[in-house]
Amino acid sequence: MAMTKDEVFVKVKEVLTTALAVDDDEVTPDAHLTTDLGAESIDFLDIIFQLEKSFGIKIPKNELMPDTNSPDLVQNGKLTPKGVAELKTRMPFLDLTGIEADPDVTKIKDAFTVDSLVNYVMTKLSA
Amino acid sequence: MRWIWIDKFEHFEVNVAARAIKNVSLAEEHLHDHIPGFPVMPASLMIEGMAQTAGILVGAARNFQEKVILAKIGRASFARLVRPGDQIVYAARIVNVSEQGAAIEGAITVRSSTAGAREELPVGSIDMMFSHIDNNLAGAKFPEFNFVFNSEFMNLFETYRRDLNVQLPAASAADDK
Amino acid sequence: MTGSAPLSRPTVKFILVDQLLELEPAKRIVMAKNVSMAEEYLADHFPGFPVLPGVMMLEAAVQTAAWLVRNTLGFAHALIVLKEARGVRYGTFVAPGQTLILAADAVAIAAGRSDFKIKGTVHGQTAIQARLELVHLNLADSDPHLASVDQRSLAAQRERWQTLTLRTAAPTLGAAS
Repeated sequence: MAMTKDEVFVKVKEVLTTALAVDDDEVTPDAHLTTDLGAESIDFLDIIFQLEKSFGIKIPKNELMPDTNSPDLVQNGKLTPKGVAELKTRMPFLDLTGIEADPDVTKIKDAFTVDSLVNYVMTKLSA
Repeated sequence: MRWIWIDKFEHFEVNVAARAIKNVSLAEEHLHDHIPGFPVMPASLMIEGMAQTAGILVGAARNFQEKVILAKIGRASFARLVRPGDQIVYAARIVNVSEQGAAIEGAITVRSSTAGAREELPVGSIDMMFSHIDNNLAGAKFPEFNFVFNSEFMNLFETYRRDLNVQLPAASAADDK
Repeated sequence: MTGSAPLSRPTVKFILVDQLLELEPAKRIVMAKNVSMAEEYLADHFPGFPVLPGVMMLEAAVQTAAWLVRNTLGFAHALIVLKEARGVRYGTFVAPGQTLILAADAVAIAAGRSDFKIKGTVHGQTAIQARLELVHLNLADSDPHLASVDQRSLAAQRERWQTLTLRTAAPTLGAAS
């Protein structure tokens, strides 16, 4: 039986409150993982591990973050136009307007909101 | 003060779990300052004991080729004071490991004697994460050589390994520097 | 200076903070920890790449917060220890020659326990951040015979606080001729 978006949100919220040591009420759909909830790079790995466990899904290595070792996609810490296009196709649930203006690889994390994570999990569950 | 916070492994299963012990002794100088008159093992150094146990477990999973660094402690909680004469037991279990890093669950207990009776009592639990820093270029500058699993460490690990029958994943390429 | 108690002799100190920088009563405290090659454990952490161990940053943060507790509650507890650390994340390395600035903001300070949010920085870059829960104890609460140990600990704490809060410049040695 497929999970509803609300059910997914509740479980994603659990993962985030544990991984980011934040309170329940801080985890709103619009909250940005980095700027609002204080997520660092290691937290993204923690979140990935916990989402895999919580939902029984597999999140392959470069699915959430681009492959920085691929010169086609990333050069000198910036996404190439091909890299930006690839990101947009792979992650339609992310608001990438900031990235289009400044394709700094380290800024991709800032685009993640709680809602975008929920949408991502929904697509994984229906795959 | 040496930075060696475990004395011996009792159990080591590559990629799965490990258990190490640390004897707490008045011969350790810092205990005389923590606190004067009532020496207790600082919680931070028990976190380090777990980190060393778990770090070696994580390192062995990839034959000590990665630089394994403590990156996060999700939660470390303590419920008992540990005293000289006690033996701390660190039990670490790999929850998840990838190219980027690893997640560990750890339980700390203490083997303690009072009036001749020896018992093992719960001390605390720790969830921690390690980063394989060569794969996580977060802007930090660090040397190319493996300063974590360095030759001093590999000698120490040989000492630890003598008590166990530890099979490492591949032939000992770890000794190449 | 207080008289030295029996068994007190120069020893390695487990003191991870060097100076008070700011204090807002019951609210916030900022202290500095200088990192020096004179700290012997750095030879093991790591050979060829000395950096302050993450748990020592955590200990420095615990000690920083504990000083605010003492200042707020009037040095009422012999032992202030870490009960739980949550969300501890490590960032930049801290090397000898650098100073780690530890800022602790009190979320709550009650008689027996306190909660803090802490951050350690080097030149504005975050080295550690965490949430800490401390517990405050007197040994006499569980064993009245230990009241004298409590007193000794409190005297040592007061003396240490004097050292940490010295604001006057070091006396000059007289004009050069």
